[in-house]
Amino acid sequence: MRKVIERALRQAGLELTEVLQASNGEEALQALRDESGKSNSLALILSDINMPVMDGLQFLEQRRDEKLAPGVPVVMITTEGSEPLVLRAISAGAQGYICKPFTSEQVKARVVPLLPAA
Amino acid sequence: MLATESPTPQNDMVNRLDTAVSEVFEMMLERSCDPMDGDVNIVDGRIVARIQFTGAVSGECILYASPATAAITAEALLGTASSEPCDPMVDDAIGELCNMIAGGWKSKLEHPQAGCLISVPAVTREGLAGLEGKFGTKFCRTYSFQGNVFGIVLAF
Repeated sequence: MRKVIERALRQAGLELTEVLQASNGEEALQALRDESGKSNSLALILSDINMPVMDGLQFLEQRRDEKLAPGVPVVMITTEGSEPLVLRAISAGAQGYICKPFTSEQVKARVVPLLPAA
Repeated sequence: MLATESPTPQNDMVNRLDTAVSEVFEMMLERSCDPMDGDVNIVDGRIVARIQFTGAVSGECILYASPATAAITAEALLGTASSEPCDPMVDDAIGELCNMIAGGWKSKLEHPQAGCLISVPAVTREGLAGLEGKFGTKFCRTYSFQGNVFGIVLAF
């Protein structure tokens, strides 16, 4: 799915200078911990909900508790569009929500407003 | 093969599956994909992806395709061709395709069934033997996009 999302972002016209990838929530948390002392800041976090080891909601909640990349917007991309899950994701810090399947235009519409101005 | 004209509960389930497949292909692969009569005749091995439903619905969605169809599907989804016979990216793409179709089908269910949980996809090249669970209701559908055929089993 990470390749699909990366492709959609590029099709939406976004220039991706560096993409950090993680296959589950635990890997994502570790990537954020590794990035925390670096000068180049992340612009956006995209996460699925349905992942092995640690799902996207647990990732969001742990990230919030550890105060990792606190100012970086998070967009959830998932098939899990039920209202309770959306509300839990928002309360855990998600600013955007994209339901699969999606078009590159939908990705652009949700992601671009959250990015820092160039 | 089930007919899809009369509005029985079973046909509703099949119609939801057809709609979910069509939406995924149109939005994510920019291709039309239609149900067809007959079975998938796969002689050169299968790639099988399975999503399990738990909670308000207990069941599974199994997608299976030949390696050739899987590779074409993955290329359409990812925008890059696979470079090796058992490219793990092809397996990932088929798993994600099954995930999106199962999620789409689930989202079209009524409350409270729509609140069921879906698993992460499991993908194997060892075929369907021993993979299918034992459920009371089972639908087998065949789909085609640009002459490439794959099958979906929906059981619950």
